[in-house]
Amino acid sequence: MSGLGWAALWRIARRDLHVGFRGLRLLFICLFLGVATLAAIGSLAAAITGELSTRGQHLLGADVEIAISHREASEPEKQALRATGTVSETIRMRAMAQRVGVPDPDVPASVLTELKGVDSAYPLYGTLTLDKGAYAPLAPDRIVIGAALAERLRLRTGDPLRYGTATFTVAGLIADEPDRIGEGFTLGPVAIVSMEGLRRTGLVQPGSLFESKYRIRLPAGVDAHATRETLEQRFAAAGWKFKDRDNAAPSLGRFIERMGQFLSLIGLSALVIAGIGVSNGVASYLAQKRGSIATLKVLGATSGDITRIYLLQIGCVAALAVLCGLAVGALLPPGIVGLAGDVLPIRPGFAVHPLPLATSAAYGLLIAFMFTLPALARARTQPAAAIFRALVDPDHRIDRRSALLVAAAAMLLIGLALATAGKPLFSAAVLGTTGLVLALLLGLGLAVRWLAKRVPRPRHPLLRLAIANLYRPGAQTSALVVALGLALTLFVTLAGIQTSLDAEIERTVPRRAPNQFVLDIPSTSENQFRATVAAEAPGAMVNIVPALRGTITAYAGQRVADLKGRLPEGAWFLRGERGVTYSATLPEGSELVAGAWWPRDHAGQSLVSLDEAAARTLGISVGDTLTVNVLGREIEARIASLRKVNWDTMGFNYVLVFSPNALAGAPHSLAATITMDKNHDAAVSRALLKAFPGVSVIAIEEIISQVSQILLQMSRAIVAAASVAILAGIAVLIGAIAASRQARSYDSVILKTLGATRWQVLGTQALEYGLLAAMLAAVSLALGTAAAWFVVVQVFEFGWAPDWGVVLITLGGGAILTLGIGLAGSIPLMSVRPSAALRQL
Amino acid sequence: MHAPINAPSIAIQARNVTLSLGTGATKVGILHGVDIEIARGESLAILGPSGSGKSSLMALLSGLERASGGDILVDGVDYGALDEDALARARRGRIGIVLQSFHLLPTMTAIENVAVPLELAGGKDAFARARDELAAVGLGHRLDHYPAQLSGGEQQRVAIARAVVSRPSIIFADEPTGNLDAATGATIVDLLFARQLAASATLVIITHDPALAGRCRRIVEMRDGRIVTDRTA
Repeated sequence: MSGLGWAALWRIARRDLHVGFRGLRLLFICLFLGVATLAAIGSLAAAITGELSTRGQHLLGADVEIAISHREASEPEKQALRATGTVSETIRMRAMAQRVGVPDPDVPASVLTELKGVDSAYPLYGTLTLDKGAYAPLAPDRIVIGAALAERLRLRTGDPLRYGTATFTVAGLIADEPDRIGEGFTLGPVAIVSMEGLRRTGLVQPGSLFESKYRIRLPAGVDAHATRETLEQRFAAAGWKFKDRDNAAPSLGRFIERMGQFLSLIGLSALVIAGIGVSNGVASYLAQKRGSIATLKVLGATSGDITRIYLLQIGCVAALAVLCGLAVGALLPPGIVGLAGDVLPIRPGFAVHPLPLATSAAYGLLIAFMFTLPALARARTQPAAAIFRALVDPDHRIDRRSALLVAAAAMLLIGLALATAGKPLFSAAVLGTTGLVLALLLGLGLAVRWLAKRVPRPRHPLLRLAIANLYRPGAQTSALVVALGLALTLFVTLAGIQTSLDAEIERTVPRRAPNQFVLDIPSTSENQFRATVAAEAPGAMVNIVPALRGTITAYAGQRVADLKGRLPEGAWFLRGERGVTYSATLPEGSELVAGAWWPRDHAGQSLVSLDEAAARTLGISVGDTLTVNVLGREIEARIASLRKVNWDTMGFNYVLVFSPNALAGAPHSLAATITMDKNHDAAVSRALLKAFPGVSVIAIEEIISQVSQILLQMSRAIVAAASVAILAGIAVLIGAIAASRQARSYDSVILKTLGATRWQVLGTQALEYGLLAAMLAAVSLALGTAAAWFVVVQVFEFGWAPDWGVVLITLGGGAILTLGIGLAGSIPLMSVRPSAALRQL
Repeated sequence: MHAPINAPSIAIQARNVTLSLGTGATKVGILHGVDIEIARGESLAILGPSGSGKSSLMALLSGLERASGGDILVDGVDYGALDEDALARARRGRIGIVLQSFHLLPTMTAIENVAVPLELAGGKDAFARARDELAAVGLGHRLDHYPAQLSGGEQQRVAIARAVVSRPSIIFADEPTGNLDAATGATIVDLLFARQLAASATLVIITHDPALAGRCRRIVEMRDGRIVTDRTA
């Protein structure tokens, strides 16, 4: 037991802490980077989900919302809703906004928009604000439009605008639509008219694709969730979708929560990688202090004293790094929100979120503990003489107690990561992969050392020295391999993902996709539609299918509602409404893999053909039953066949295709794809809108542009997250170089004394890093390719089509960049005068 | 009276050389106007107590340090006009240096250490010459041993072999026996003089040992950064 108390130990520790801090800069930088990243990601996700939760009423524009597809609520249904509180009714649909007046070649004649009809009670919460003047309930011939629509059609207040058979006057531009978040994904800019105005357009017809929403403001004190549940039970078979103020944007909330967890895991992985830097930094610091440690031991300090003295120093710097990381992490989200602009769905204000900060601090301190203890244990347990000898005879063993403590800290870290994860299996997989890659790279480092020691010694002295540097005592080969390997792997991963996404957008989609989608074609007008297209674009390929929307309510006797949100993994099609169709024949682009297609004139029990992947997800097959709610009516059908659907064609692909007898009687519209020479696009669009004022024409380019935008944002998020890991890798690289600085400084001075120039000395290090990079290139290419493949194919579910030229150039460029950073750290060594250095050697 | 600059008989010439280290309040004057000329083939000892500036003078004369003032010409080359790399090139094949702590490269064997100066100068038969030189210092049987596997005396022999292998015209030795026992030190000194004779080189030894200094033809004594005596034996 030590004779020294903590006060005395602190006095000794403090004495050289001001000098010691310089030696512990790497520990500080690595911990700071990791904790700041985790704290920033956690705080941002908490801020957004908190905002969604606390402002749910305003985001939803109601306490309870009911959405119904294809139809409006019946009068008895409306009365039931009115009995609970104040009701506001809206109808939302896709519709073509058409310019009125002299055509302008620079301005499109029509634009796809989200048209919303609102009653006089709208909005129940929040305010619809216009760029000029206040919003008041609109007259039937007045319309307010989003700025994006005004810009595309070059409209100003007072200009006319046509929808279907009605012409409106623009009454103002929308500055803020209060329920924008609650509305979810939209395909075009918004326009708002009164309910009477909407009916004037003639677009709301039986079978047309629209959605009615009934927002309820409850009397004060009434529980929104309970009201929702009561309504859900009462109208269980009506096919309604419910939301309440506590869960205003469930998809967005889920997305933010998952994205936050995914980025947090990448941040945690970066922190684990930075742990290597922490370990190196502390080992290098303690190596510098070797003389002091030995002297303290000679003077009678016990192992415990030594541990506590340096634990105090390291603990102070680690605590400071964690505190600085937390401060920056807490302050960063407002900056990120400002920089992100419209990419983020909402703009939360500044607030301190204790939980993510506490979690980040715990991660940081655990990592610091795990990675500093081994070096400290070695210094603690070795006798004084062994410490003096350690420069030439490094001992990497640590005592059992320290090993157990490190293992306990690791378990605690993994436990914390899994306990705070929404998807523990996924988190375990990410952490496990990170651990595996680290172990692989560390193993590779050991292999490189072993190999370098055994290869024939080259005659050239600089090459000889470069190879010797890989295995000499105190060589940082493992850390260099981890840092370089990681950086190169990430460069390959990013290049693989980016080029595959580019290929997906630029090559696959345009080659296979039709030019236009047309929705809401009257079901009786198929022949007229074909004739209109043929007149403007002879030879155009037109594919027409019935279009309905339905919700799967049960499968094989299992009610979806009873799952209470715990859907089987990958069962996205159970969430909300999906497009459904019917067909007498097997649809184009589908391949029958089980069962048989029904006869053209099938009558009797309703049959359905299901996508085979969906069937696998639900664990059902041919012969099982499936119930779908279409237009408020539940239709039970027997699964007659399974199909393999080619989702890449961008044509009409449906998970559910019914036998005609099941749905033909339901009011519905038709949807069409048109494949033609691009030059006919405008003419066909004009002719269709003239002949069918109610149709929506969606140019494939618009969809591609939106998809590209989403992919771009996703790849930016990945690049941002990967940058943290690359930064951690670079910090480890700089740390490894700093740790071997003493040995390199010695060599460079002797070489300069013997007549070597600075470039020759620098060349030795370039050779060393170049050798490592060359050896790592193949490994990084394999690891990075595997990671990119996983993200592209398994996460995004896209085709794997990387541009190998770009990947290899990125790998080369990444190697040069990383080596450049490494060599830049060595430049100060070059300016050391030999005599000045020799005095210190 | 100084010989004219660049005189063929003069190996080293220093005029009014000063050296200061540090800046501002921490600036320390090390050498204060040193003048010295060393003839070709001469053996010269620079004697003095610790802190007298003798090692600093050697560092300046060998191009390891740059003077704060004055002129230094070595083999007719003006050191003042050279940058760090040019000084390194000027040392190649012209100057051999033996240091008190040997300063061998720990990751290279004895023969590799000796071959390095020749390789840096682009010599083709570096290893053959290194082998001969190590044999000449009595280490023909230790060619492939690493510095850590050699005794102090053996390490200093390797250092001497490394210093003379490129047949330099000038050899500097800074306290060559400082880290060795008396008997080994005497052997090393014998070896140093033997190699100097064999190479017809100028030898400059830095020492605080009067007995070692006494083996040189000329002794310069320094104190407080100045030459106080300059005598020929």
